[in-house]
Amino acid sequence: MPKIDASSASDAARAELETAFAQRDRYLTGERTRVGIFGNGMPTALVEAAGACAVHVELAEVTTGGGSPIDVVIEPFLDASVSTFLNRFSRGEFADLQGIIFARDDAPALIAYQYAIEWVRQGRANSAVPPLFLWNLVHTDTEPTRHFNRVQADKLFGFFEAIGLRRPGPAQISAAIADEKMRAASLVKLSEAREQGVPAAQALRLRNAGRFMPAPKHGELLNAALSLIEKTPAAGRPRIGVIGSPLLSLKTYDMFDRLGVVTCDLQPWGDVWPGNFGDAKDLDELLVSTAADRSCHRIVPSEAYRQAILEATANAGCDVVICQLAQTDDTIGWEVPALAEAFSSRGTAFVNLGFRDPEPDEAWLADAAAAISAALGARQ
Amino acid sequence: MSEYLPLECSRAATDYQREWAKGLRRDITSGKSYAFVNADTPHELFHHMGMPIVTNQWWSAIIAAKQLSEFYFDYMESRGFHERLARYSSLPLIAELEGDTSRQPWGGLPTPSILCARQSADDHQKIFSLWAERTGAPLALLSSPAVPDPQPDWWRLARDDWETLYGSDRLDLMVAEFEVLIAQLEEITGRTFDRSSFASYMEAINEQERIFEEASALIAQAPRCPIRISEQMPNVMIPQWHRGSDWAISHAKRFRDELTERVQKGVAVVPDERIRMMWIGAGLWFDTGFYSAFEESHGAVFAWSMYLPFAADGYIREDKGDPLRTLAARVSAMNEQLHQPPWINAWMVEQARRYRIDVALMLIPEHDRFSGHGSLYAKQALEEAGVRVIEVWSDMVDPRQWDRDAMVAKVTPVLDDVLAEKN
Repeated sequence: MPKIDASSASDAARAELETAFAQRDRYLTGERTRVGIFGNGMPTALVEAAGACAVHVELAEVTTGGGSPIDVVIEPFLDASVSTFLNRFSRGEFADLQGIIFARDDAPALIAYQYAIEWVRQGRANSAVPPLFLWNLVHTDTEPTRHFNRVQADKLFGFFEAIGLRRPGPAQISAAIADEKMRAASLVKLSEAREQGVPAAQALRLRNAGRFMPAPKHGELLNAALSLIEKTPAAGRPRIGVIGSPLLSLKTYDMFDRLGVVTCDLQPWGDVWPGNFGDAKDLDELLVSTAADRSCHRIVPSEAYRQAILEATANAGCDVVICQLAQTDDTIGWEVPALAEAFSSRGTAFVNLGFRDPEPDEAWLADAAAAISAALGARQ
Repeated sequence: MSEYLPLECSRAATDYQREWAKGLRRDITSGKSYAFVNADTPHELFHHMGMPIVTNQWWSAIIAAKQLSEFYFDYMESRGFHERLARYSSLPLIAELEGDTSRQPWGGLPTPSILCARQSADDHQKIFSLWAERTGAPLALLSSPAVPDPQPDWWRLARDDWETLYGSDRLDLMVAEFEVLIAQLEEITGRTFDRSSFASYMEAINEQERIFEEASALIAQAPRCPIRISEQMPNVMIPQWHRGSDWAISHAKRFRDELTERVQKGVAVVPDERIRMMWIGAGLWFDTGFYSAFEESHGAVFAWSMYLPFAADGYIREDKGDPLRTLAARVSAMNEQLHQPPWINAWMVEQARRYRIDVALMLIPEHDRFSGHGSLYAKQALEEAGVRVIEVWSDMVDPRQWDRDAMVAKVTPVLDDVLAEKN
């Protein structure tokens, strides 16, 4: 497998990103106050503009049966990321965060918020839990929703002040958006690098490492890590698209890498983060672009979600699109038959791998690989 | 044990609904428009525009009661939808996709003129979007931002202080979306929304729900429960689907008056009532006979289901001079109050105390997560209040996971224990 160049700067940058990914929300940059984020849909630029570093809290390795008192109120159908978070939250593991922001339109995040604030309200939480905030952004573009979303931003800024951060001004917001755009450019290079030999599993790690550090630092590290990449065009290898539930299983991505090149990764922890900032330059434009994120299940009009998948996988020239589902899925499953039909009509193979655990076992991986191989074989 | 006699008004309610459905079919066939809507949408706007509605969850219950759900859920999986998707809200869609209207109750539903859902659960917009794709009917989706700081005693605040409870920003947004919906309805019906009479219509609904509140208090305070919950449900929900109409108010009064008479005469479901139970969650629509399973064996009666008490707490909203905003207060967290902590746990404890509940059976539909959320918080709160809670992992409309004998075997020892304690 081709590797990223071994120059020391590039290696150091890559190592730093790998460390951040491995340590996740325990990775400490030592630079600024840290504010937790749960879910996609919360523009981290606003946290940066308030002078803090946004740190995602929902990507921790899944633990079950932690034995925490909060387990008694966790139904088995809660997403693994939620139950893991709640266990850690109840043990006071986020005491060093200045606050935690939950994105309402990210399904697990809303439940995590509601269960966490109730635990606090009942006086059962560790006394060190940070303040919690619900980011209520609505994913629709009408004048009333624009007004509503501006109100939510104002509430967010009030929260920032309440937890000791500064209220972001226009200049700080614009600067933070510019930083995000620079990072986004680096992330585009990272996505393209998959076609030049960077394994999808590694790309997943390097992308998501940015969830635990400031955007400018992430962008700089990515640029350094990718600067001397070996160019090994993936011509001739099957082009794979990935959709479905949030997936952080490196073994699964290794399996994808063995079968082809991931050219389009649309699962929530794939290429869709940190979102599309378009031409945004100020707060209003940032809110509009965030509300227009078609990777959100709750976007209105509803057909935009499916259309975005169809467009992106077409643009990426996918030979096969792979769907994988968390055991708790209750949304993507509604799209599967229509997606299967659409892919079939345009001659793209579609493989629904069905349910899998957060870290699938070897048997599942073998079955999945066989199914994908068979679909690709049938195309030839 | 004496034979249980149903209320006279129960048959009147089901007869009315059956005739209404027949009339609706007739009207639609002759070109009248109708709307297919979710339960937690502003039915009031449709009613006030004179546009009939069919409620998704009601139609789902009807299909299940006709023992058709098993067929449709098998069909659902054959279409490629996986088996863990929500069923209560999707059963009518699956029947629509299957397409054979002759199989459906009353010959099925024609294409609606408009669909309406609120984004309270993530899958509602998916389900309704598929319906819109299938039929070509326009879809009105109402936003559902969450209440970030839910007060536990929502039912106390919701009547008068709803602005504080639900949040001005959320109410502003919902009213704005109502205005868009009203414009759509005006276009479809060719009529103008009569704003001047809407306030009196909203007050009529409040009047209806206050009558239900009296009925609820009668059952809660009666020495012995006068009716089965399988009778409470149609007597409440059918008028709710027609809320504010002359018939609905009249029926609510009739229901309350028959209850009053029963209580005064000492009529009881179980003459030797010894245990009071609550059924938490939507109705077990394919097996409502289960609700009488423990009457003879343990003198145990299901006295509580959410539909009757929720009529008051979930619907009465005092007008502050803007009836559309008042309606937004009723709708903006309607479903959430039944599923989200701390709302659900606090309300369950309040209701259990009022109804003197000994044992609660809690329906937890694991594949309808929105309806299942908060269940274990509610269970814990009830147990802390001294109520025994039995988890029922099943579904409101899918009988495939339901084993009545097994459930009876699970409940029986708990009731035995309660009786032993009382003795």
